[in-house]
Amino acid sequence: MTDVAASRGFIPKLSTLSRFTFVDVVLWALRIGVIIVVIGGTIGTLIKARYGAAQWFDFLVFGVTIGSVYALVALGYTMVYGVLRLINFAHGDIMMTGAFSGYFVASSFAESGFLDTNPFLAMLGILAVAVTTSTVIAVLTERLAYRPFRRVRGLAPLICAIGVSFFLEQTFRGAFGSGVRAYPDPKWQKNTLDVFGFSVPLVEVLVVAAALISMLVLYVIVQRTRMGTAMRAVSEDSDTAAMMGIDVNKVVVFTFALGGAMAGIAGVCYAFVFKQVYFFMGFTPGIKAFGAAVLGGIGSVPGAMLGGLFLGIVESVGPALFLDGIGITAPYQLRDLIAFTLLIMVLIFRPYGIMGERMAKKRA
Amino acid sequence: MVAALAVASSANAAETKGPVTDDIGVLVIPKGAPIQIGAYWVMSGADSALGIDEKRGVEIAIKDQGGKLVGHPVKLNVEDDGCNAEGGQTAATKIASNPATAIVIGPACSSAATPGAPILWKAGLTDIDTAATAPALTAADRKPEYAGFVRTVYSDIDQGRADAQYVHDVLKAQKIVTVHDGSPYAQQLATVMGENFKKLGGQVLSQEAVAPTDVDMHPVLTRVATEKPDVIYAPVFVAAGAQLLRQSKDIPGLEKVPLIGSSGQMAPDLIEAARGAIVGYKITYPDVSPESMGKGYPKFVDEYKKAYGEAPISGYHANAYDGAQLAFKAIEKVAKTDASGATYIGRKALRDAVFATKFEGVSGPISCDQYGQCAKFKPAVYEFTNGDPKTFKIGENPKKIWP
Repeated sequence: MTDVAASRGFIPKLSTLSRFTFVDVVLWALRIGVIIVVIGGTIGTLIKARYGAAQWFDFLVFGVTIGSVYALVALGYTMVYGVLRLINFAHGDIMMTGAFSGYFVASSFAESGFLDTNPFLAMLGILAVAVTTSTVIAVLTERLAYRPFRRVRGLAPLICAIGVSFFLEQTFRGAFGSGVRAYPDPKWQKNTLDVFGFSVPLVEVLVVAAALISMLVLYVIVQRTRMGTAMRAVSEDSDTAAMMGIDVNKVVVFTFALGGAMAGIAGVCYAFVFKQVYFFMGFTPGIKAFGAAVLGGIGSVPGAMLGGLFLGIVESVGPALFLDGIGITAPYQLRDLIAFTLLIMVLIFRPYGIMGERMAKKRA
Repeated sequence: MVAALAVASSANAAETKGPVTDDIGVLVIPKGAPIQIGAYWVMSGADSALGIDEKRGVEIAIKDQGGKLVGHPVKLNVEDDGCNAEGGQTAATKIASNPATAIVIGPACSSAATPGAPILWKAGLTDIDTAATAPALTAADRKPEYAGFVRTVYSDIDQGRADAQYVHDVLKAQKIVTVHDGSPYAQQLATVMGENFKKLGGQVLSQEAVAPTDVDMHPVLTRVATEKPDVIYAPVFVAAGAQLLRQSKDIPGLEKVPLIGSSGQMAPDLIEAARGAIVGYKITYPDVSPESMGKGYPKFVDEYKKAYGEAPISGYHANAYDGAQLAFKAIEKVAKTDASGATYIGRKALRDAVFATKFEGVSGPISCDQYGQCAKFKPAVYEFTNGDPKTFKIGENPKKIWP
């Protein structure tokens, strides 16, 4: 194990040099290429001085905002993976169900004026409906779709997860149409807050705050409660946990409920930042959040939070910082390329993800 | 290699069936069987108004024909192309795999037409496009696999020129930024507009790009703000257009910079997606006011309203009607019926007949040049006046403000 880890690390041992294969050469060329682009681009951009401090700060804030949404969704992936070793590909769509149900509440609140007169209660109401919907749907998918596959080896559970994803998308498309709907845009959300002398839209501050509070609550639940302890026990070894008297089914349901609730909050946050909902909206953030979970080390709760924030920031800052400097026009078209290149690089440098190793050692 | 030779030789060998000999194949329609017309448009998603509107145009054309053509009932097989390249490829492959398809109408999006048209022409099918306007599709240097492609809609060569003129002469802009979404339509239109704008003495600060499904426009708009443009010209589709519109107002430095959209955005869904931010938003569009259309247009719109219970939901229904008319006229010209009542249509002859047919359509005169360009552009600019999707009516919300 340690030999493999060392040979994939930064500096290869001398004895392994003679065993370099074609694949190693390509991987090293990739690493060096990416590093050259990153360093060259950064220097180029800084020399051009096209962006001022205010713009860099804006990029960073956008990145943290979208990153905290990724982090919330990534938590669902990572917890389910930890407990069941299942990649729940429908998780992005569970976020969509939360955003969609929140839309109906939000637009009726906006029409009656409640959203403008009582912003706090209105937001709480929207979040409550969204969280309830996505939690119920998450628990139902577990009970109806995943539990029958619990003891099945191979790819069947994964395929089932992809099937659930399609099922949710097409159900919402059938029920609510394939068009794009606009979330309301209350005036108070347009206010800006002064942070270190830069103005930041209130809605972004709210999203980041909501995400941080939710993550803190989740962390406390996982680390400090009986249920959280049971969750960690099941993710260590579910058979032993069952022998110790832990009701594994209950733990799994709880895990899905927790993930679903996080996805519901993420859905509303996402929709209030980007103002649009449609049936396919969960797909891309879902894939990105899965990437974030892998980036942070899948199975690790702090890893998912860190991975999400990291991915969001790189996505937002990266195109301007790395690509502008080497003269690429329209760098923001390549945003996803940066996100996924980052993912590949992390997997090459650290196959277990940013926070993955500690966990892997603990498990070993 | 062998396969390629086989394809080439079968393409060259003329086929004779019944009374018809044709270079690339003969379609036989048995007595009483329907004459099948393939069609592909965007029928779902944010851009579906485009496709549904055109499908209705073709349905009215079939109705006006009495549902029959050269003694056979007309059957329209519609595929959804999703307004993207993968969808266009799938839809075209599906249509081409039906050997009974006589001719194809659509699509609405250049992204779908670009991969779709060659697939159809390889199967010997002529494709009459009804709203895909990317210049390359009918350019003089288009590849031979597009030989079966014609369109009853204008080319963006003309729209780009008109848009540049409007932005330069009417809005008095000197410096602009263009934003496209990587689709052939938006990319080519943004490029043509930018080139014409430069010819008029203006400056294109940069050509930015987003993805059609992007929701986070903040970074790209922040970048645009550093260039201090007078106008942002963004001929993208509904979803990305609405996001740009909503988010550009929040970016420091862009609060007062007008965003100008274009013909991919004329749909009630744009209002649904942008809501309050839409008021005052201008898009360049072909002039679809009744005065500028062909003679038969008012009667056609009456029929449309009667059949579907609402005013036209997008702007290309007349082009679609004319596309269907063009198909019918060409089929009538080349179809031959034998004693048993079976009808024979030579595929190459049908293609040539489509190119040669000239008539006065409801959208204006239809007359194809050798590269398949059959219609001209009449420029206009429309401005949205209300954020309620129910008020969408071309001519009122948005209302025509230029010329």
